[in-house]
Amino acid sequence: MPEANIVLKNCGVIDPARLDSYLAEGGFEALEKASGAMTPAEVVAEVKASGLRGRGGAGFPVGLKWGFTRQAPAEIKYVICNADEGEVGTFKDRYILEGDPFGLIEAMAIAGYAVGAGRGFIYLRAEYHFLKDKLAGAITQAKEKGLLGGFEIEIYEGAGAYVCGEEMALMESLEGKRGEVRYKPPFPPSRGLWGQPTVINNVETLMSIPRIIKNGAGWFTAIGTEKSKGSKVFSVSGDVGKPGVYELEMGSPLRELVEDLAQAQDTKAVQMGGATGRLLPGAMLDTSLDFENVLGAGSVIVYNSSRDMVDIVHRNLEFLAEESCGKCAPCREGTQLMVVVFKRILAGKAKERDIEFLKELATTMSLTSLCGLGQAAPSTLLDSLSHFEDAYRARMKDIAGAVT
Amino acid sequence: MAKPGKGTITVTINGSAAMGSEGMTLLELARQSGIEIPTLCHHEELSAIGSCRICVVEVEGARTLVASCHTPIAPGMVIQTHSEKVLAARRMITELLLASHPDSCLVCDKANRCQLRHVATDLEAAQPQVRGRKRCYPIEDVSPYIKRDLSKCVLCRRCVAACREMAGQNVLHMAYRGFNSKVVVDTDRPLDKEVCRDCDICVNVCPTGALSLVEESGSKKKGKPLFIKG
Repeated sequence: MPEANIVLKNCGVIDPARLDSYLAEGGFEALEKASGAMTPAEVVAEVKASGLRGRGGAGFPVGLKWGFTRQAPAEIKYVICNADEGEVGTFKDRYILEGDPFGLIEAMAIAGYAVGAGRGFIYLRAEYHFLKDKLAGAITQAKEKGLLGGFEIEIYEGAGAYVCGEEMALMESLEGKRGEVRYKPPFPPSRGLWGQPTVINNVETLMSIPRIIKNGAGWFTAIGTEKSKGSKVFSVSGDVGKPGVYELEMGSPLRELVEDLAQAQDTKAVQMGGATGRLLPGAMLDTSLDFENVLGAGSVIVYNSSRDMVDIVHRNLEFLAEESCGKCAPCREGTQLMVVVFKRILAGKAKERDIEFLKELATTMSLTSLCGLGQAAPSTLLDSLSHFEDAYRARMKDIAGAVT
Repeated sequence: MAKPGKGTITVTINGSAAMGSEGMTLLELARQSGIEIPTLCHHEELSAIGSCRICVVEVEGARTLVASCHTPIAPGMVIQTHSEKVLAARRMITELLLASHPDSCLVCDKANRCQLRHVATDLEAAQPQVRGRKRCYPIEDVSPYIKRDLSKCVLCRRCVAACREMAGQNVLHMAYRGFNSKVVVDTDRPLDKEVCRDCDICVNVCPTGALSLVEESGSKKKGKPLFIKG
């Protein structure tokens, strides 16, 4: 399948500092159509019909989220754009924010109109501070031209915590509190930011909205697979010839992305979706990229045969132990203990029962942790155990030989 | 059993039907039905915290286990409170908490009143299979009223909630992240009488020996020690 050009349509085409160049590309026509010719309920119905699902990793249907928020009985509602792009190995949102800030603003205004929110927030990752002025400039220009129709957008900078990409922790942080997850339910569409109904979407998710409104849901559903509509933007890094941002139609094979576009050779494994994502062996490169199979937040890290999987998983777990917010016991204690066991594996002191313990611990963490971080923390570990058991055996061979 | 009326929700819990009112949590309904679910961070007089995850139960159709202390009941829920899966998870979480807990139970003042030990005994949770890091903090006994031994803290956050909700103060907060999370006063300085008006509320809600009143040693008879499997 060829590269898609939906989300990144304007990136590199328009001048991100000038509103008129965005308008020349048909910018703000979708907002005009939505607020002029459509009722908020029709906008929600259109998004529902498009089958668009969240691009932040969980893949929740966007139309449903908007519908719940619209129906929630409250005077004040909010729209949040999650631009905390904290997943390890992702840089696609940054590329979008740099190249097409107006598109995001337009999408947020459409969301605001659809759900009845008067205020929106862009939660910008601390490391993207350099983008703040660009975004603020884009908001000011759109406001001065009267394009936003009273919809207010504010930029809020995060403080650098990985867990603040999780929607509940993000809202706590936005409220000025410690970035920690809240339990669900209640979900954001009923009680989100400051207890008000809130729509929270990833940058990339929102970027599809203006195209859907402009071209219609039918146009969008023609792209992609049965359960995954549209395109997905990937950040490819690691052992590849051409790292970078690529947009592909949903359902494209991973091989096309990794070998044809990014020009990887001798691929041993691909880490999809960052620290809490999946680890696929090179033999599984024909897996298709969609919600049915493997997708994640769009981070694609490629490892060639010179890499040691135990090292990679160890580093991964160290990162998660560092970034666990510390609220719930399984994640706080579990990530830490996994690192302890890995230290033993690396030192060649691990025994068979350590591996068994890791598996039991992984099960408990994914079943009982409060948020996605703890629930998905063991996924690279489990994948590495099922696909690269030899790497572990090699570290343990002395002991295994003595015992059996 | 009450007759079904408006706002009444019927669920199936461990195979039998149970009725509760709207807004009730799974834990409340279970306890009302005479089913005991172990808890650590939950306290009846405080709003739900959801940090310890000991009270997880299995709900049919849910992707993960759900914490019963903060999950409201919904019509038609099918709940298992003591399935193998649930018990294994509870046991593992308890083991995790014990793994970082100091091995000073034998001489701990909390003795048989320690809820971590109660939970561990009930679940027959053994000493953890893997020895991890321990939390080590110096004992804070600056205050003439309250002694804090944060090495024994299980980070349930009851004291933080109690200080805010019951005492109407905001003396205690969380600081640091992950394993290094800690209940702190101000910018992590010892609790003293300048900031705390010694209402003892936090001491009363602490499940372990982390918070205690300052008493002259030997002045009062403590509880009997408790047998712990290990």
